[in-house]
Amino acid sequence: MDLDLDVPMHDAIEDQPVTQDEDKNSGNENELTATTTSVDEDEEKDDFKPGSSGIADHKSAKPLELNNSNINQLDQWIDYLGKCQILSEDDVARLCKMAVDVLQFEENVKPINVPVTICGDVHGQFHDLMELFRIGGPCPDTNYLFMGDYVDRGYYSVETVSYLVAMKVRYPHRITILRGNHESRQITQVYGFYDECLRKYGSASVWKMFTDLFDYFPITALVDNKVFCLHGGLSPMIETIDQVRELNRIQEVPHEGPMCDLLWSDPDDRGGWGISPRGAGFTFGQDISEQFNHTNDLSLIARAHQLVMEGYAWSHQQNVVTIFSAPNYCYRCGNQAAIMEVDENHNRQFLQYDPSIRPGEPTVSRKTPDYFL
Amino acid sequence: METVVQQTDYDALSCRMSAIAKGYLPSPSLQVDRCNYHQYKEFHMEYLRALKSVSMRIYSIVNRVVKTSFPVMNYGTYLRTVSIDVALNDYLTSLGKDKKVQVINLGCGSDLRMIPLLQNFPTLTYIDVDYDSSISVKSKVLWNSEALKNLLDLQRDESTGEVFAERYKLASSDLNRLEETMQRLHDLTEKDCTTIIITECLLCYMRQEESQKLIGSIVSYYQSGTWIAYDPIGGSEPNDRFGRVMQANLRESRNLEMPTLMIYNSKEKYASRFPTTDASVTDMWEIFSNRISADENKRLRSLQFLDEIEELKVMQKHYVLSTASWQK
Repeated sequence: MDLDLDVPMHDAIEDQPVTQDEDKNSGNENELTATTTSVDEDEEKDDFKPGSSGIADHKSAKPLELNNSNINQLDQWIDYLGKCQILSEDDVARLCKMAVDVLQFEENVKPINVPVTICGDVHGQFHDLMELFRIGGPCPDTNYLFMGDYVDRGYYSVETVSYLVAMKVRYPHRITILRGNHESRQITQVYGFYDECLRKYGSASVWKMFTDLFDYFPITALVDNKVFCLHGGLSPMIETIDQVRELNRIQEVPHEGPMCDLLWSDPDDRGGWGISPRGAGFTFGQDISEQFNHTNDLSLIARAHQLVMEGYAWSHQQNVVTIFSAPNYCYRCGNQAAIMEVDENHNRQFLQYDPSIRPGEPTVSRKTPDYFL
Repeated sequence: METVVQQTDYDALSCRMSAIAKGYLPSPSLQVDRCNYHQYKEFHMEYLRALKSVSMRIYSIVNRVVKTSFPVMNYGTYLRTVSIDVALNDYLTSLGKDKKVQVINLGCGSDLRMIPLLQNFPTLTYIDVDYDSSISVKSKVLWNSEALKNLLDLQRDESTGEVFAERYKLASSDLNRLEETMQRLHDLTEKDCTTIIITECLLCYMRQEESQKLIGSIVSYYQSGTWIAYDPIGGSEPNDRFGRVMQANLRESRNLEMPTLMIYNSKEKYASRFPTTDASVTDMWEIFSNRISADENKRLRSLQFLDEIEELKVMQKHYVLSTASWQK
């Protein structure tokens, strides 16, 4: 790897405007000459400012209390979402406001007890998420920990994230949803969630609500003080889990720094820290993982973030495990998916599964994955 | 089937326009410096502008894809385009500037490689061959643009929609029909002239028998030459499901068949398609990993944010560039 390769995400993510307008006849429908959505103009676009959705304008001082009325409401939503149907915009607003009052009280390092079933990327593959619950057992009978990346790439990001958030609010102690690098305003504008919200709701308001909500998602979890769970990996600026507890996580995923690294980094065969080919986060070697696990008295780091063909993959001599829960990723990659059950005695078992049947999708314009033809 | 295959050209064109719009193409180091391509973006935009007058339908398809393309597709299009360009340029350069040479692009679609190659190699002639429906759109577009017409020196509008300029021919043939194809090549090309065949996603749509007969006939017809091919391969590892998923997706979504995807499913098997012994087959991930310089990589990284390295790898390991030369 070349050490000069690092380009800050801030620069890398900007769309390149095509300045040469050769098509004089065309109006603004010409996407080749008009710039596509620029994703780095928060200062200019007031609407895209974090918090503009208003879902966190009236936060409660104490965690949401479930009562008959909101339980009924949530059960209705879950029932509806379970059929892969979207909530109304108003209901999404209600759901997100409730979710803020659950998630704002969760810690950066969310403590979790065994038994728990740990899951990786889902990426809008709603039907495969339903398959995951069939394989792993229904929630709340089974405790779940999801390690981020609910949206983008698949065709049902709205349904997927709505469902998981509704489950989180309904069963706050049974399901944990961490933040992945795709739970971000910038990334979702490139990889599909933003476009999907526009398509399904006709405006960006639902996207604004969810991305405002993402800021409240916890970033790591600790299973019985032994298994450290997060989306990406380690950070050179984080030696102890206590340092994660000190971060201010309620913000857009930064371009660099410890919070960015936790959501972006990858384990690597090479030792030490390396520049990530992704342009954000770092790669870390076995020496780093061993040191971190030793320092924090951990048995394992469980993370997601990378496509692995068997659905899970060990690295660093079982100091790190990667779990990926989107089978046939992007409907194209042919990979298996997996989840990891950790039982009362800390025994681990991987459950692998294949894609579920996908019914017809009349509302989706990108029906099939792209190939080079 | 003809329409279904012919429509894959819209995909290829869309992908190329998207890669241009995002700045992947042209590559300053590989296409501009090494291959001496100039005005690459300009002549592509000009083609698109003219296409809009010829077929609003195709234009909107292209425009829609450009709007929604993912980085992983732009990377793949970049790799495909640049690696063929470099292979072509290196071979042509090795022949020497004064050597008479003909380039035959089979299943050309709307590919515009003839423009820079005709400019850069004064002794080169270029023959585009595709279905009648494809070449009639392409020739209309070329005629519709003063700039492209002049670049290619188009003089006489043929009633068939074909083009027979001094150094550039655009001819129709169903490449599944061997006799017809060989007859057209016999009429339009020279048997003894050094010949470069380009097949960029052509062989993958043909049945095994037809494709192998086409390769065999062409290689035995021309005295000497080189065959540059780009195609998907299905994958040969036991757990590799990429090819089967691809076949199922394309069949389900657009009725498109890739009859040999799982037959020539590895680099070795793909090489065996060619009767020569020196066929060299490289997968596109190898090209990305080994042949793209650190600076170029850095440039690519600055264009869009690629959070799909593993996916890029899975895909690009299933596409190959093959070069096979023969000399009698």
